[in-house]
Amino acid sequence: MNVTIYSTPTCIYCKMAKEYFTTNAIPFTEYNVAEDDAKRDEMFEKSQQMGVPVIQIGEKILVGFNQPDVEAALSQSETDK
Amino acid sequence: MYELTIIGGGPAAIAAAVYAGRKRIKTALITKDFGGQSIVSDDIQNWIGDLGVSGFELAKRFEAHVRAQETVEVFQGEVVTQVESVGGEVPQGNFVVETGTGKKLETKTILVASGSKRRRLGVPGEDEFDGKGVVFCSTCDAPLFKDKDVAVVGGGNAGLEAVVDLIPYAKKITLLIRGEELKGDPITQEKVQSSAKVEVLFGAVTQEIKGDKMVQSLVYKDKKSDQTQEIAIGGVFIEIGAIPNSDFLGELIERNSQNEIIVDHKTQTTSKKGIWAAGDVTDVLYKQNNISAGDAVKGLLNIYDFLHKHTQTEAHK
Repeated sequence: MNVTIYSTPTCIYCKMAKEYFTTNAIPFTEYNVAEDDAKRDEMFEKSQQMGVPVIQIGEKILVGFNQPDVEAALSQSETDK
Repeated sequence: MYELTIIGGGPAAIAAAVYAGRKRIKTALITKDFGGQSIVSDDIQNWIGDLGVSGFELAKRFEAHVRAQETVEVFQGEVVTQVESVGGEVPQGNFVVETGTGKKLETKTILVASGSKRRRLGVPGEDEFDGKGVVFCSTCDAPLFKDKDVAVVGGGNAGLEAVVDLIPYAKKITLLIRGEELKGDPITQEKVQSSAKVEVLFGAVTQEIKGDKMVQSLVYKDKKSDQTQEIAIGGVFIEIGAIPNSDFLGELIERNSQNEIIVDHKTQTTSKKGIWAAGDVTDVLYKQNNISAGDAVKGLLNIYDFLHKHTQTEAHK
């Protein structure tokens, strides 16, 4: 399962999301879009919007951190395997 | 039957819950999440006893403090949708608190500490471009507007803080204020006014946000000249204050024209016997974390007196 999070250092919901993944031992790749312009553009491209966090789980793109949505995407991604 | 139901998860709700635990009051606390509105703050510097604490850290401490109270049962992830008075006035009657997931809690008393939510401009384009250049969390999203021209709407503290968040990133920041003066803290005002990137427009009333895929411009009316102006921008940060979360109370208690619950500031009682309120949802003059906490404690002690006097439940017989 591939989990990617596009975040900024000051974003509280990004921290919540990362803490959720860490607590549940789910590995994730993080891009700091405050610094990384290429990843910022990639985030716009994928989510069609410019708010953080953007979380990608498998093919699913989620904007913001809503735990039930993340859990649903994680279990969907498991089923797809 | 609960003796008390606390609605909310910010400083008012948490302070009341901690005191309720210490008074051994059988309590339900219903909240979507913990921390209140300050959760998005990167560094809160006026919470007493802390030189600086992030909203995130404070929220975690709030949750831990509530969960340490034996007599307080926490219903997290729940939003209250309705409150009903049944069986006549308390102490004979009671209330039924209903949540979005269909839970119904019976309770003798209620402390409403549901805070407030972001006020929106209500202009065309605001909803359409939400997340596409229209921003409601400046601490979160300011870094994404690197080298862009942006607008901030709102002259209070939150508006000024959004400008401060943007100064390191944006190319130019236009601050639009309806009134004729800045209202925030002098320290923040100085930061804003000393930056060459910032232009402040007074008497500017936002009328429309335009764009294609993303925000491209903002239209405002200049109150003095009565002329409409359009400025090219890549982002709009909206910081125009808050509206109280009191709709779920229906006609049950009296509110003022701002929809704030009218309370007796000595006891935090409302127009409805058995319901108290504290924090930003009330007509308290200053909306502050420390004040919310203090007012909620005041209310809780008054609730305790009420329960004690009526020796309603097992815990107080």
